[in-house]
Amino acid sequence: MLNQISKGLGRAVRAAAVAGILVGGIASAYAQEVIGAGATFPAPIYTKWGEQFKAAGGPALNYQGVGSGAGVTQIINRTVDFGASDTPVASERLASNNLLQFPAVIGAVVVVVNIPGVDGNSLKLTGPIIADIYQGRIRMWNANEIKALNPGITLPAVAVAPAYRADSSGTTNIFTSYLAAVSLPFQTNVGAANSVPWKTGVGAPGNAGVAAAVQNTKGGIGYVEYAYATENKMQTPQLENRAKKFVKPTIAGFNSAAAQANWAGAANFAASMINMGGDTTWPIVSSTYVLVPKNPSDPERAANVLKFFDWAFKSGGPAADQLHYIALPKAVQDQVRKKWSAVTANGKAVWPAS
Amino acid sequence: MKTLAPHTKARHFRRQAIDMFMSGLCIAAAGIGLIMLALILWMLFSKGAAGLSLDVFTKPMSSTGTGGGLANAIVGSLIQVGIGSMIGAPLGMMVGVYLSEVGKNSRFASIVRFVNDILLSAPSVLIGLFVYQVAVAPFGSFSGIAGALALALLAMPVVARTTEDILRLVPQAYRDGAIALGSRENEVVRKVILPAAFGGILTGILLAVARIAGETAPLIFTSLGNTNWSTDLTKPMASLPIAIYRYAGSPSADLIQLAWTGALLITVGVLMLNVVSRISLAAMRRG
Repeated sequence: MLNQISKGLGRAVRAAAVAGILVGGIASAYAQEVIGAGATFPAPIYTKWGEQFKAAGGPALNYQGVGSGAGVTQIINRTVDFGASDTPVASERLASNNLLQFPAVIGAVVVVVNIPGVDGNSLKLTGPIIADIYQGRIRMWNANEIKALNPGITLPAVAVAPAYRADSSGTTNIFTSYLAAVSLPFQTNVGAANSVPWKTGVGAPGNAGVAAAVQNTKGGIGYVEYAYATENKMQTPQLENRAKKFVKPTIAGFNSAAAQANWAGAANFAASMINMGGDTTWPIVSSTYVLVPKNPSDPERAANVLKFFDWAFKSGGPAADQLHYIALPKAVQDQVRKKWSAVTANGKAVWPAS
Repeated sequence: MKTLAPHTKARHFRRQAIDMFMSGLCIAAAGIGLIMLALILWMLFSKGAAGLSLDVFTKPMSSTGTGGGLANAIVGSLIQVGIGSMIGAPLGMMVGVYLSEVGKNSRFASIVRFVNDILLSAPSVLIGLFVYQVAVAPFGSFSGIAGALALALLAMPVVARTTEDILRLVPQAYRDGAIALGSRENEVVRKVILPAAFGGILTGILLAVARIAGETAPLIFTSLGNTNWSTDLTKPMASLPIAIYRYAGSPSADLIQLAWTGALLITVGVLMLNVVSRISLAAMRRG
C-alpha cells in the first residue's frame, strides 16, 4: 500500500512538473518586466504610464495595488522592484532597510456630499466644520455654522451622515491630517493616521465604498480621491483654504499646493502639501511615494525602475492630466533625479545607466 | 377500513398538521436558497453580459479607456487552478484512501483527520501567507507557481474529506468479496473500491476545483497579479479573481464593467464544469 502511495505520489509530482515545464516553456523569452506593488491610489496612472513606456521601447511594467502598508513590506522583503506608499515612510525605517524614497505623482482628496435639494458644488464648508461633523458635534445640514457660510442656499433639516474608510488607507491619512491641522479638538480626539477612532459615521471599504455610501444616503458626506468624485460625477463642496478663500477642487488649485510645498527642506521628500498658503490652493493635497532599494541585487532591474520614472517625469504629464493626477513640479523632478545616484551596485550608480 | 376512535383521529390530524408545517418550513428554506442563487445569477448576467465581447478573451488587461480585456487573467487562472488541482487532488485522494481504507480509526488516522479538518476550515488568506513565507519571500519573487501551490493546499483537504466520505459509503461486502477472491489490499483499493466510488470522488474533486477557481485571498501574496501577458511560472501571474478584485475598486466605469464580466466568466466556468462532469458521469454509467 505504502509503495503504491509513493508510486502514485511520484506520478502526480512528475505530471505536475511536466505541466509546469510545458507551460513555462511557452512563456520563456519575455523581456525584463518591472514589478511594483503598493498604494492603490496611483495604480491607474502607473498602469497607464507603464503602457506608454512600453510603447516607447521600455520594458513592461506590472504594478499591483496591494495597499501602502503591504507595498512597504514587499520592498523591505525585496519581493518587488519598487514599493509604493501614499504616506512617507519614517527616516529611520528607510535607513535601516536601505531604501530610497521619492515622490512620483500628486493627488488630491475632495469632500463629497449628497444633500437633497442642494447643489453640493456651490456649498461652502470649512475644515473646522467638517471636523465637527466627523466628531458628531454638527448633526444637521441646517446647523447655524453651515447656514452662516451659505446665505444663498436653503439647507434642509436633514441629518448629516458621515462616511469614512473602513480599511486602513492613505486617503484617510491625508484627510485626517488636514482636519487635525485645522481643528485642535479633532487632533486631540481623533488624530491623523491611516485608520483613526472615528466618533461618528459609517465605515465603507475603499474609495468606491465611500462614494457609494454617500450616493446612497440622504445627507451623506464623505472623502474620496479626486478621480473617484470626477468619474462618479459627485458633488464636491468648496473648502476654505489657509488664505481664507473658498476654492473649488481644480487641477490649478492642486498645482498651487504642490508649488507651495517646501520640498528642499523635507527629509526624504516627505514635504507636506496639507493646508498650504496661496489664494487658489486646494487644502487637501499629497504626493504618493516610491521606494527603491539603495543596494539592489539586480542592477539592471533597479535601473529599469529609475528609467521608468525618469520617462514618466519627462513624458507622463498628459496621461496624468487625463486621469486627474498632478505631475511633480519640474524643479522637484530634478531634485529627485539627483537623489537617484544613491542607488548603487558594485560601487557604481545604476542610473543614468550609460 | 376501520373507523378510528375519536382520540386516535385527533392525534392523526395533529400529526398531519405538524407534518405539513414542517414540510412547509423545508420548502421555504429550499426556496430561499434557490431565490438567492437566482438573484446572484441574475445580477451577474444583467451586469456582466453587457461587457462580453471577443476583446475580453483576446486582449490582455490594460489601463482605463484603452479597451483592454481579461485574456491574461483567464489564462493565468486556468494555469494556476490547473496546476493547483493536479497537485492538490491526487494528494487529497491519497489522504482520503488512507483514512478510509488503511488508517481507519487508528490513533494516527484520527490525528490526520483532525488536522485535515483544521486545514479545511483555515481562512484561505492564512494559506496564502504561509505559501508567501515558504515560496515567495525566500526566492525574492512572487510567482505563478506559488499561487498554484496555495491553491493546491486549499484543494487538498476538500478532496481528502470527500474521498474518505465517499469510500466509506462503498459496502463492506465489496471489500470482503475481493479479499475472499484472493486480492491484495492494494488491489482491493485500486480495482474495486476506487472504481465503485469513482463518481463521488470526481464530484469531490470538482467541488475543490470550483472552490479554488474563485479564491482571491491566497493569490494576492503569492502570484500577486499581472497586468501584462505572462505564462512564466516563476514570475507574477494574472488571475481572474485578482483582476476582479482590483478592477471592482477602480474609479473607471470601463474597468468596473470588466470586473462584472470577469465574475460572470468564473461563475459560468464553474457551472459548466459541474454540468459537463455530471453529463459525462451519467454517460459513463450507461456505457
